[in-house]
Amino acid sequence: MKAGNILRENNWKKIFGRGEVTVILAVLTLGIIFTIFSESFLTSYNMFNMGRTAAIYIFIAIGQALVVIVGGMNLSLGQIGGMTVVGAGYCMEILHMPPLAAVIAGLLVGVLAGLLNGFIITALKLNSFVVTLATSFIFTGLINGVSQGYPYNDIPEGFTFIGREGFLGIPFLLWLAAFALILLGYFFKYTVTGRRVLATGGNIEAAKMSGVNTNKMIILANIGSGVFAAMAGLLWISRTGSAQPSTGVDWMVISFAVAVIGGTVLKGGVFNPIGVFFAGFLIVMVKNGLVMLNANIYFEQAYLGLILLLAVSLDSIKNIINARKLKESLKRETIKQ
Amino acid sequence: MKRKTISVLLCAAMIFGLAGCSTPSAPTKGNGNEKTSGAADGSATEGTESNLKMAWYAPAPHPYFEEVQKGVEQFKSEQNVDVIIQIGPDWTQASENEKVEALIAQGVNALSIYPCDASGANGLYQEISEKMGVDVINFGTDTAKPTTAAFAVATDVKQAAFDATEAVIKMMGEKGNILNVLEVLEDPNTALRKTGVEEAVAKYPDVKIIQEIAGIKTQEEAVNKIESALSANIGKIDGIVCTGFVTSVGMTQTLSDYYEKQGSDKHIFTVAIDTDPGVLKGIENGIVDATVAQNPVGHGYISCMLLKYLSEGYKVKEGEYFVNAGNTLVTKDNMDSYEKDLQAVTKDILDSLTTKYLTK
Repeated sequence: MKAGNILRENNWKKIFGRGEVTVILAVLTLGIIFTIFSESFLTSYNMFNMGRTAAIYIFIAIGQALVVIVGGMNLSLGQIGGMTVVGAGYCMEILHMPPLAAVIAGLLVGVLAGLLNGFIITALKLNSFVVTLATSFIFTGLINGVSQGYPYNDIPEGFTFIGREGFLGIPFLLWLAAFALILLGYFFKYTVTGRRVLATGGNIEAAKMSGVNTNKMIILANIGSGVFAAMAGLLWISRTGSAQPSTGVDWMVISFAVAVIGGTVLKGGVFNPIGVFFAGFLIVMVKNGLVMLNANIYFEQAYLGLILLLAVSLDSIKNIINARKLKESLKRETIKQ
Repeated sequence: MKRKTISVLLCAAMIFGLAGCSTPSAPTKGNGNEKTSGAADGSATEGTESNLKMAWYAPAPHPYFEEVQKGVEQFKSEQNVDVIIQIGPDWTQASENEKVEALIAQGVNALSIYPCDASGANGLYQEISEKMGVDVINFGTDTAKPTTAAFAVATDVKQAAFDATEAVIKMMGEKGNILNVLEVLEDPNTALRKTGVEEAVAKYPDVKIIQEIAGIKTQEEAVNKIESALSANIGKIDGIVCTGFVTSVGMTQTLSDYYEKQGSDKHIFTVAIDTDPGVLKGIENGIVDATVAQNPVGHGYISCMLLKYLSEGYKVKEGEYFVNAGNTLVTKDNMDSYEKDLQAVTKDILDSLTTKYLTK
């Protein structure tokens, strides 16, 4: 009986020791609070919409996380999304290309932009911050130059199917995001290339000595980042039925917030798919909840910051409590001896 | 070695790129008889016969500025006056300052400009108007007072918000709940629009603002916030007023999806602002009921015309500053003719410039 209790206690400790637990707890706590204070929070319409937004945030966060994992960053993520949107919109409205061809063209934009970032970073041994900052200007210029600021509204109706419909009451977008995270989780845990990418970010010198072609891994991560940014852009068109050149303008903050709150370590080497999934929801819930509670429009940003700060502090609070407990138990052990 | 080769190639590409971007001949400040053959990126100039060296500056590519530019082009061809047309890279005052300073260095002495920051732009204006003698006119929006700008040619935003709200209220049968969708809180115009909406609602005792949403800079934010507000008030919203371009586009996209999910049994009456193609399409489809069309072509033409008169020795009449370029409500019925109405407004204003706003 006593052994059973210890086992159960250890299991709980293991569960609560996982990185994503705090973000899950934060989501649950906020969910309960918003449900108590707003009768509309748990409606199917609201849940569906939050699911769609969270899905887009997850794609954006994956785009950032992939380069953060190798110790870099992508400041041009939003612009890659914007270029994809403009490229796909241009293909459909101006060139009258079928949606599938436009999607391929959009993804190609992501691949090429990511390749360009990765190539410059590795070939010239430049910091990813500087390179992606520079390319973000190039991409902005291309977005403005091609679109002249005009949106593309002639998007075929079928294109909005994925963005607006769902399966089992869950938006297709969220299914896609979950699938992408599972795929990435598998990639990083069970494939050689995935482990090499993580190793590159964990300790680049050690990875090099182990025979990992780190440049190749960095280029691969940047291409992946470009592809996920492109996917987020395409899914956004699918959701709204319009290709707006301003898409992606505010992605940078979202990408870092979701990725880091979700457990992606800025130093690299760590990716937490479950954490990213719930972090996407956390950000969406806070924003949605503030509107639900009819928060004062002038102080809304302050509330947003406060709630996020509290949510991310949970992890530190958990660590402090754990450290204290460990200290106390060590003290007890010393007294016993 | 490989790195060196790439560096050399990149340097060569940069040099060629810069050569491609540079102007064939930089214009100089003089008597104005010289013909200018080019300008900085995004600009175009033609010959001129007077001391006037005019420039028009928009902060970033945007459909609204495209329309304003049409007015400037029309002014150029009808008045035979050169105008350097320049569109900046972003909506920041810092970029605007840099670009304008470069224009002044080229000898520009008359400037029609959209101020990025209502207060920040005044510092720039003060410098160029007081030290360099440049005539400055705001178009599209106003700067904070006091300002050294001679005029502001724009829509009376408070009145436009009032008109839009009143139109929604009439459609609602003068009773029900309104969702007030505002845009960027940092923009002083937002406060004016808010007041306009609130004043219109105050006129009708059976109408109330059920919720206000704001702090919206991007279309994504607009979609998410409007969706959240609709979720929070399902079945309770009778009308929506959007007084910003971004929110209007976002509302159109959100409502088409909302009707798909919630059904269109209960119609939400909506009035947007500006004539984005998506919003006009929404009016055609019956998703949006109306939009307030500003007079962007007039903003361009009138501001340049005022600068021309100022260069000819006209002075600003005391007490005159704001030129309301007018606005009109676009519905399904007048979608094809509203531009003519605005042209008529522009003509009336142009006819009254030297009598109402200026003096010799």
